Amino acid sequence: MKNRANDIATSGISRREFLHSTASISFVVGTGGAIAACSSGAGPEAESTVADKTVTPNIWVTIGANNQIVIKYAGTEMGQGSMTHVPLILAEHMDADWADVSVETVAVNDKSYGNPIFQNNLYTAGSTHVMVYFDKLAHAGTQARKWLMSAVAEHWQVPMTELSTKPQVVAHAASGKEISFGDIVASIELPTEIPEVDKSEFKAKSDYRYLGKSIMRRDVPAKSNGSQLYGMDVQVPGMAFAAIHRCPVEGDGPAIVDDVAARAVPGIIDIVTLPYGVAIVGETVEATKVAKSKLQVTWTEKSPFRKKNLDTSLREYQSAAHDLDLAGVAWGRPSGDAKAHLSSADRVVEATYSSDPAYHAQMEPLNATASVSDDGKSAEIWVGTQTQSLTIMGAAEALETEEANITLHPLSMGGGFGRRSVLRQQYVDDALFTSRALKRPIKVIWSREDDLLAGQFRGPAVQYLRGAFGADGKLTAVHHRVATPYNLPTMNKHRWEASKPKDVISMLGSENSTYDIAHHLAEHIPTDRPCRVIAYRGVATSYTKFAIESFVDELAHDRGINPLEMRLQLCHKNPRMTKVLERVAELADWGRKMPADRALGLAISGYSRSLSAGIAEIAVDSSNGRISVLRYFGVGDAGFIVSPKNAQAQLLGNIIFGLSSGLHERVTIKDGIVQQSNFHDYRIMRMNEVPDIQAEVLTNDAPPTGVGELGMAMVAPSIANALFTITGKRVRHMPLAPDVVLRALNT
Amino acid sequence: MISLKINGVDTTVDAQEDTPLLWVIREHLKLTGTKFGCGMGQCGACTVHVDGHPTYSCLTPVATVNGKSITTIEGLSEKSDHPLQKAWVDLEVAQCGYCQSGQIMRAAGLLANNPKPTRTDIVNHMSSNLCRCGTYPAIMAAIEQASAEIADEK
Ligand code: FES
Ligand code: FES
Repeated sequence: MKNRANDIATSGISRREFLHSTASISFVVGTGGAIAACSSGAGPEAESTVADKTVTPNIWVTIGANNQIVIKYAGTEMGQGSMTHVPLILAEHMDADWADVSVETVAVNDKSYGNPIFQNNLYTAGSTHVMVYFDKLAHAGTQARKWLMSAVAEHWQVPMTELSTKPQVVAHAASGKEISFGDIVASIELPTEIPEVDKSEFKAKSDYRYLGKSIMRRDVPAKSNGSQLYGMDVQVPGMAFAAIHRCPVEGDGPAIVDDVAARAVPGIIDIVTLPYGVAIVGETVEATKVAKSKLQVTWTEKSPFRKKNLDTSLREYQSAAHDLDLAGVAWGRPSGDAKAHLSSADRVVEATYSSDPAYHAQMEPLNATASVSDDGKSAEIWVGTQTQSLTIMGAAEALETEEANITLHPLSMGGGFGRRSVLRQQYVDDALFTSRALKRPIKVIWSREDDLLAGQFRGPAVQYLRGAFGADGKLTAVHHRVATPYNLPTMNKHRWEASKPKDVISMLGSENSTYDIAHHLAEHIPTDRPCRVIAYRGVATSYTKFAIESFVDELAHDRGINPLEMRLQLCHKNPRMTKVLERVAELADWGRKMPADRALGLAISGYSRSLSAGIAEIAVDSSNGRISVLRYFGVGDAGFIVSPKNAQAQLLGNIIFGLSSGLHERVTIKDGIVQQSNFHDYRIMRMNEVPDIQAEVLTNDAPPTGVGELGMAMVAPSIANALFTITGKRVRHMPLAPDVVLRALNT
Repeated sequence: MISLKINGVDTTVDAQEDTPLLWVIREHLKLTGTKFGCGMGQCGACTVHVDGHPTYSCLTPVATVNGKSITTIEGLSEKSDHPLQKAWVDLEVAQCGYCQSGQIMRAAGLLANNPKPTRTDIVNHMSSNLCRCGTYPAIMAAIEQASAEIADEK
C-alpha cells in the first residue's frame, strides 16, 4: 500500500520538494462515457518508458504495463477492514490478481468518489462502505475487464465470447493463447471508448475467488510489528510539538495568561494564545508537557455552559419527554395514528428510560500535524480522519481559504467510532492555528486528559414510551418520545441545513423498522446540550434500542408472554429477523432451566440495514449491584458477507464494546466541566471481564450491508432484561453500573 | 546524555532525566511502534521490555533505565516472526491496531517466563492492557496458538 506520510517520514526530503512531488497526481475523467486516460506514473520530468505506461478505464482503477494494478479507496481505515474489503470488490469483478493490487486512499475532496449517504462527501461512518460502494466498484471492475477483453478480441481477431479471464490474464481457450493485463497495456492499443456495462454482466457469486472467502486484511501485518503509521507517528522535517491547554468549559477562553514559568522551561519555543485555550510549543513533547503544568491561565466566565449539570439536564429532559403537549419532530415513517390509539386504549403500559453521555475512548489520543504556509493561506495536514472531505472543508474554513489550498494526508486511525467525523475537528484547528502562528510544521498531541476534557460525546437522553394492546392481545400502538440534544448542528452545519429539523444522529433506531406495529410514532424532543455531542459507535441506536428492547420485554412480561415469543410474533413479516432470533435462541438454548440466581435476557437491534439479536446470561450480586455477564450469544445478518472472518471479528468487538458501554461507561458534567479524566475513572472493559462469547454472522444472498456497528446496541437491553428475570426489578438507566442497579433493586 | 541499549544497539540521547522513556523512544529515537494511550499506567499501549520485563514506558523516567537493555516491538524479532507475531497475523487479531504493539510486548513477557500459560494465567497477565476495539478473544486465541508453536519447537 502506498503511504505518503511514510515516504516523508523516511526520505528526509525537504518540505518544498514534498509539496511538489504530491502535486502531480491527476486523473482524466470524461463526462457521460468515460474517456481513457493514459499517463506515466512518475512525475512529468521522468522519461516514460513502456514499463511506466498506465491506463485508467474509470476513476477507480489504474492498470500498469508492469502488471500492477492500483485501486482507489474512498474511505479511511480505523479497524473496520474496509480498506481491504471494499477495493477487493473491484478486484474480484475485474478478475485482478489481488497480490498485484495496491490500494491508494483518495486524499482529495472529489465528490465523484463520495458517499451518497453523506452528501457525496468522502466519509467513513455508519457502516456504509460495503453497502454503498459494492455496485459502484463491481461496475468499475466489470468495465475494466470488458475493456481489456475487447482490446484482446480485436487484436487476436476472435469474438469476445470466446475469451475468458483468470486472475490478471485474458485467455482464449480454443487457441490456448493467453496474455496478462500488463502485457495488454504494454502491447495492445486499447479502444478509446470505454464499454458500458450493466449489472447483468457482473461476475456471478458462484465464480467469486475473493468475496465471501475471508481474504486477509491488508493492514494486519503492519499492525503486528509496529510499522503501521498513525497520525500520532508522523514525522515532518522541521516540526515542533504543541500541547494544548484548553478551557475546561466550552465557550470560554483565556482572559489572563501568565506564562513566565512555562516559557522558562528548556526547549519551549513559544506560547500562543488561541480563542479557546493556549498552545505550548516546544522542541520536544516532554518540554510541552512540563511547561503546560507551569502555565497559569485565568479563564473568562461568560459561557452559558458553566450552568450545565448532567443531573439537571436529565431532569429537564424527563419533563420534556413526559409533556405530551410539547410537540416533537416526527422521525422515520410514522404509521397509523399512535396518539389517538393510545388515548382511546383501555390500558396503556408506559416506561421512561434514561442514559448518560458516553465517550468514544478511541485508543489513540487525538492529534494532528499541520504545516501552514507563511501567508497563512495554504496548509498541509497529516491526520487520522473519518472524512477526507470534511477535514479539507473544515481546514479551509479555519484558515479562511480555498479548499484547493489544503493538502491532506489521511493516516490510519487508532480507533474512530464517530469521534473523527465532524467538519471542524478541534485537533486540526489546534495544529493549523499553532503552525500559522509559528510558521513551522506543528504536531499537536492531546493527552488522554485533554481527550476527555474536550470530548464530544454521545449525548444524554431520556425516552418515554407508551404502548397499548388490541382486543386480540396484539401490540397495536407504540409512542416513543426521545428527549435528547441535536447533534448535526455541531457536527456539520452543511449536513444540518440539508436535514433539519430531522437529526439521524439523535434519533436512529427509534424508527420502527423491524416490528409489525400498526400505530407507531417516534418523536424527537430536542433539548439543550450540557456538553459537546456528536456521533458515537451505533449513533443513537445505543440508547434508542436500550429503551425499545427493554420496553418490549416489559410488554411481554405484562402480557405473560415469553419475550422470545413476543418478538417472533412482532417480526412475523420479517423472515430474516425471524431467522436471526431463532438462531440465537438455539445457540443460547433459550428456555433452558436456570438456577434462581441466573437468567437469560434477549434483545435485538438493527443498524445500517443489518440485523442482530443477542442473549446475555448473567448473575447479579444484590449486595453491591454488580452484574456478571457469564456468557453472551450474538447472531448477525448483514446480507452477503464479503469477509466472514472480519464480520465475525466486528460482531465480537461490538458485543464487547456494548458490554463495556452498557455496564460501565458514563461521562458526568458538573458546572459545564467533564468530571472524568482518564481510564481510571472512565472504565472500559478489560480482558478479565470479557465473558465467553459465541458470535455468528449468517450469510445469504441479500445485498451486503454494514458490520462495523453490528450488534453493539443489543447488549445493554439484553442484560437489563435478564436482570429483571432474576430480580423482578427494572433498571431503566444506562449504564447498568453497580450504583444504578443497587438503586433499582432497593426501590 | 543518557545511555541506552535499545533493541541491541547502544545509543545516547539528549533528554532530561525525568523524561518518560515513551517519548524518548517515540520522538527522540523515532521508534513509533510503541504507542501513547493514557500516560498513567492504565492502558499498556506503551509497553516495552526493560531487561526482559514488560514495563509501562510512559511511567518510566529515562534516567532509571540508564545502561539497561530495552526492547521495543521493532526489536522483538528480526523479521516480524516471533511466534506471537505470526499468530497475530494468522488470526488477524488487530482491528485499529493501536493497542497491539503493547499487547504483543505484554504477551511476549508472559511466554518468556511461562511458555504454557493457562487461560487464567493469560487473563491475569493481559488484563493490564486495554483494547477499545474488543479484540480480547482474538488476543487470547493468538497467545494460545503461539504457546502451542513454541511447545512444538521444543
Ligand atoms: S500509555 Fe502507558 S499505560 Fe497507557
Ligand atoms: S485493536 Fe483497536 S484498540 Fe486494540
